[in-house]
Amino acid sequence: MLEVKNLTVCYDTAMLLNEVSLKVNRGELVGLVGPNGAGKTTLMRAISGLVLWERQMKRGTRAGNITLTGEVYFQGQRIDGLPPHRIARMGLVLCPERRRPFSELSVEENLKAGAYRVRGRRAYRDTLELVYQMFPVLQKRARQVSATLSGGEQQMLALGRALMTRPVLLCIDEPSTGLSPLIKGELFAKIGEINRSGITMLLVEQDVRQTLAMAGRSYILSHSKIVAQGKKDELMADETIRQSYLGL
Amino acid sequence: MLANILVTTLVNGAAYAMLAVGFSLIFGVGRIINLAHTAYYMLAGYSIFTLVRVAGLAYVPAMALSILLVTVVAVLCYKLLIDPMREHETTVLIITIALALVFQELMLKYFGGHFRSVPGVAEGSLSILGVQVTRQQAITCAVLAVILAAVWLLLHRTRFGLAVRATAQDMEAANLMGMDVSRIATLTAAVSAALSAAAGALVAPLNILEPHMWLNPLTIILAIIVLGGMGSIKGSIYGAAIIALSESLVIFLIPQGSFLKGAFSLLIMIIVLLIRPEGLFGVALEGER
Repeated sequence: MLEVKNLTVCYDTAMLLNEVSLKVNRGELVGLVGPNGAGKTTLMRAISGLVLWERQMKRGTRAGNITLTGEVYFQGQRIDGLPPHRIARMGLVLCPERRRPFSELSVEENLKAGAYRVRGRRAYRDTLELVYQMFPVLQKRARQVSATLSGGEQQMLALGRALMTRPVLLCIDEPSTGLSPLIKGELFAKIGEINRSGITMLLVEQDVRQTLAMAGRSYILSHSKIVAQGKKDELMADETIRQSYLGL
Repeated sequence: MLANILVTTLVNGAAYAMLAVGFSLIFGVGRIINLAHTAYYMLAGYSIFTLVRVAGLAYVPAMALSILLVTVVAVLCYKLLIDPMREHETTVLIITIALALVFQELMLKYFGGHFRSVPGVAEGSLSILGVQVTRQQAITCAVLAVILAAVWLLLHRTRFGLAVRATAQDMEAANLMGMDVSRIATLTAAVSAALSAAAGALVAPLNILEPHMWLNPLTIILAIIVLGGMGSIKGSIYGAAIIALSESLVIFLIPQGSFLKGAFSLLIMIIVLLIRPEGLFGVALEGER
């Protein structure tokens, strides 16, 4: 469903991704783990089109000196080079790092914004109902301004908003950062549930143990490169990988 | 006296609010400080003047046509001059002030520096709360209020309005929701200019037209924006009300104080900047990379 081929991204003179290739098949939950600064978020931003958009927005300045080479295919179509809104409309949706809710909008307006491309009142109602079923707390807080939600609730909102777009492939960037172990557990359970409901997923996480346990396959990204990939057992069987990258 | 202050506040406040809301909209969505914003207000005044006095149109069709014309000019300016430079904030300031000056010089060239006036739709006056209000003032104020309400509805009750507010808060997240932010910014530029033109068109019969008429409202809306908070629509409306009220207070309570009103607005702006730089309803711009 998603295929990344030899993706290289440079910001000015820093190479943030170096010949990265990965594949996500229909229905899978693929994990992407790795240390801080490995390039996980950059990879998400490159796939969703935000890297090129950033280049466009900062053109003419040093920060806009961004190069991106390689190919990204989504459902057989080449998408590197497309603007982010076009990629999102195709069904490849990123639930961004730090949640990024529209903070002055109410919870319900945030969800409505997610459904921006969903046509028809009925389709909107149905999706909203599904999201409320999955995250009852959002219904309870529907009229509340989203900036006043707790961290866990904001993450639920970010996920709910992403679901409102009716994604085919959902990329989630570091959903568990800054959450308590209890909320984390709840969140991972929801993520598994979303995947089982038929949405393919690419999950970027710091929490290696949880991610490997949930994901069918995982990639390890370190120093801008994919250093290993495979099922949990395969990754754990390799002593070097286990100790130097997974810390387990 | 009190009633006089109230009426002046209402008429001026509504016009300021309309200018400030438009200014805030394009700042919020495009992060563009458009110093040419009130030049559109001036252009609309001159356009009405030309259509009414030279072409002989009636006031209402002239007004509609003027708003349309000015909006088209503004969108062209946005697309050709402002949008390509958007990421360079200082350059945008220079471009927009240059635009305003170009419009001013063009008006000077074609209409000269004389004071001009535009006839209104209604003659005579009526008495509200014991104050003599000209019919033109009353109509202007009512129409301004209706337009402001319509803008509020547009922002809060329509899909486009939701996209505008979402984009203003987080452009990247808006992108990820499938919103075409550059198209939304262009549409917002059009709405913003149309509001400025409408304010100009409505106020034209009450004011004198002259080529420098954009400068004074520009400084006042800057004071309003600082007071209300950058990019906040609610802040713009409250800010406009407060500045308009303080202006009327200065005019009516200080003997021969009307020349002080601009200074007073700017004094408020400086005090706000010192005490609460983010303004009444402003939000610190965070979460942008």
